[in-house]
Formats: sequence, structure tokens, C-alpha cells
Amino acid sequence: MTVAPLKGMACLALATVALMGPMPMAIAAQPQPEPGPEILQKMQDAARNLDYAGVYTYQQGNIVLSTRVVHIVDGTGERERISLLDGRPREYIRHNETTQCLLPDDRVVLVERRESERFPAVLFDDGERLPAHYDLQLADTPDRVAGRECRDLTLVPRDAQRFGFRICADRDTGLPLRAQTLGPDGVLAQIVFNTLEVGKGVASEALAPTWNTSEWKVVEIPIKEVDLAAEGWRIPLPPGYEPLTQVARQMKGGREVKHLVASDGLSTLSVFIEAYSGPEGQPHDLGLVRKGVLSVYRKRIGDHWLTVLGEVPADTVRDLAHRTEYVPLAVR
Amino acid sequence: MQATNEQEQQASLEASISAWIDAEADIRPEDLDSPYGRQVWDTYHLIGDVLRSEELAIKPSDFLYARISRAIDEEPPIVAPRVQPIRRYARAGLSGVAAAAAVAAVAWVAMPYFAGSDPAPEAPVMASSEAENLYDYVAAHHDITGVGPLRQASFRVGEGR
Repeated sequence: MTVAPLKGMACLALATVALMGPMPMAIAAQPQPEPGPEILQKMQDAARNLDYAGVYTYQQGNIVLSTRVVHIVDGTGERERISLLDGRPREYIRHNETTQCLLPDDRVVLVERRESERFPAVLFDDGERLPAHYDLQLADTPDRVAGRECRDLTLVPRDAQRFGFRICADRDTGLPLRAQTLGPDGVLAQIVFNTLEVGKGVASEALAPTWNTSEWKVVEIPIKEVDLAAEGWRIPLPPGYEPLTQVARQMKGGREVKHLVASDGLSTLSVFIEAYSGPEGQPHDLGLVRKGVLSVYRKRIGDHWLTVLGEVPADTVRDLAHRTEYVPLAVR
Repeated sequence: MQATNEQEQQASLEASISAWIDAEADIRPEDLDSPYGRQVWDTYHLIGDVLRSEELAIKPSDFLYARISRAIDEEPPIVAPRVQPIRRYARAGLSGVAAAAAVAAVAWVAMPYFAGSDPAPEAPVMASSEAENLYDYVAAHHDITGVGPLRQASFRVGEGR
């Protein structure tokens, strides 16, 4: 009832504006458009399509780890070389979805074939679902990271099932220069470029691995897809989270563990299921471990261990673990 | 073993159906669609109907109450915990498969996530061996999500043979 007259007035107002000609005052007073998922998509596209090279640092609690990245797009697709600068030397040579992990102390090349993106890529899908679960706020003033001007986009969670994020995207290219995970008390973890070069200056020679691996042993990591729901697992993911992938993987001692990864586009959590093999008398519920940004909850369901973990609030992993059920009877 | 499993699964399904009827959880129709599921669903609704309606309930005689109280008195106290039998056969059966697949078995180098003495105050502290086992999961999580630091794994080729 109230809509119709308002609509009429709006039309009238528009007509008046049209008659009176341009009104610069009105245009200046227009609020900044709400940042939408397209701003995140621009970051993702930049991380995938640009040539860049630099060093970024991951920091969480007292952990500081630096990594050199070289990313080049040529006629064959994406090529990337990632070198760990701290701890034992490791290099990852990626060509599209094939990644070689070079382990010089073992003289082994591990080959993995699946999509694997990491920083500066920050999204796990097109980001369309993010505004439903985060309030997007673009900073009014620019910041500076790795000598480049960037602007912070803050994603404030709308519920308690995820942490917040703040991503500073390069003014010129949209490339994320800094990504922070925000808890109630501030920054929980961050990953930030220290040096960065974008564009033509990035030479393809920089993609060559440090070591000559022609004599090294090559091991392909088998990936087996699984369907936990079809096996009778009822895993009620928190609102907004969708399964990304479900695989069976080998863990220490050769035991098989089923692994589901879920994400809301930014936040991720993992659910691991394996046969119970512990000593008798072990408690059914090992409970919660929290460390910095990470929460882990482990409990036993019948003949299985269930492990839920992720960079999410502790209650999220605990609730998911408590609500997960095994009902293969219903499947039959 | 099989019977224990089935009992647990039935209990789990019954708990789910109870929660759905009480509108405490979202109904999963695919889980209900089994003879057992439908039977439980009907029974629980009948229980609910009887609880809400005096007319549907049978008025039991005082004699029934007396019999029930006596039966409860005679019930032995339940103290023995249920013991989970060790599944030796399963382990023996697996070893062949494990040996074949162990070519790519993984030994993760510990990430310093749970090291140090800085557990969150509200979190119970796990036994250290248990916490060590979590490295694997954390590394596997980061491996797929690409969130956080790159794994510093080492792969012992042929481990587990």
C-alpha cells in the first residue's frame, strides 16, 4: 500500500531532475557502492592471470615462515615455483593442476595431480556465497604493503561459524598483498608480501628448480575420490559451508584416512574419518585442541575416529563433531 | 561385532528421528526411507499422540504398576562398561593392501603448530603423543586448502612395509 505512492514520487523526482539538468551536488553525495563478490573475483583473477614474483611471509603466534613465489602465465597455462625459505628446503613446481614437490634431502619428487591454489589466491570458488555470510566493508583510506598501495576489504562474519578476514588488494592490479584472519581479539594469522614484482619484469628463468632432479625418484601420490554420504556418514556442515573435495589419503603407517574439505568460499574446515585402531580403554572423546587460528576436535564414533579441524572458531568444529552421525542402515 | 555395530547405528538413527519429530533438526528424508526408519517414525508419532491425548492411552491397572516396580527392584545394577573388542582380523586383512599402497606412505615432518607451551586456556591439553598425531591432519588440511604455511612433509618411500 505504501509502495505505490512512493514509487510515484520517485518517478516525479527523477522527472524533475531530468528537467533541471545535471545536479553535481546530488552525484557527489552518492554513497560508495557496496562492495560485492566481484571485488573478490578480481583478486582471484589477478592471482591466476598475472605474472608476479615475490616473497611472502606467513605469521601465526610465534611461527614465521617465508616463501618465494614465481607465477607466470604462458601459452600452456599457469606455471608456478614456490620455494620455502625457512626450515628444510622444499620446492613446489606447479604447471596448472600438476604439482611436483621437490624433497632434496630424500632425492624424491612427489607428483600430485589436482587443483591446488594458495596465496595470493584467496577464494575457493567464485565468491558468490560470501555476502550471505560476511558483511563486506571497503576501507576509506589506502594502506601500503610491499611498497605498493592497497586497500583493505574487511569481511565481517554474520554468525559465529567463521572468523573474519581482511584482505589488502593492490590498487593497480587487484592482487591480494596481505590476507589476515581476524578473531574477536584481533589478527589470528596473516600472510603478507614483503617484496613483489608484477608484470613484464618477471623472467621465466626464475621458474627453473634449484636442483637437477633427473636422478631423483619420482613418486606419484594416488588420489582416490570417496563419497562419505553414500557410505552412511551424515556430516551436517555449518551454514554456508559446501564440500570442496572428498578423498581417501594415506597417512603415517600406511593407514587410509577419508578426508572431506568444506568451505564457505573463504573459511575452510576438514573432516577426517578412519578406522578405530587405538589401544583398548582409550576415551571416546579426546576433545578440543586449540592453537592460534586452528581448532581441532577428535572423537570416536563406533569403530571410527572422527577428526574435525579448521581455521574456524572452536565451537564450529565441536558442534560439527557432535552432530556427525554414522547411519549406514539408512543407506541400504 | 557386527551386532554391536548394528545396534549403534540403530541407536543413532533412532536419536535422529526423535530429533526430527521434536523439530530439533532438519529431516533427512533419504535416511527415513528404509523399513526400519519408517517403523521408528510411525512408532514415535504414536508415542507423541498418546502423550498428548488421554483418550488414546490405556488406563493401566494398579496391578501393572506393582509388577513394574517389582521388576525394577529385581533388575541387577548395571556397572560393566561395554568393551570394544580389538579388531585383529581387520588389521591382518589390511596389511597386504597397506604394503602395496605404502610406496607413497607419508611421514609428515612436524609443523610447530602444537609445539611449545601455549595451549588456549579453555582447551583441555591432550596427551603429547596424541597432539603429535594431529600434525598429520593439520598438514593434510593445509595441503588441500592451501591455507596457512606449506607443508614441510617428508615422504618415506616404502614406509609401512
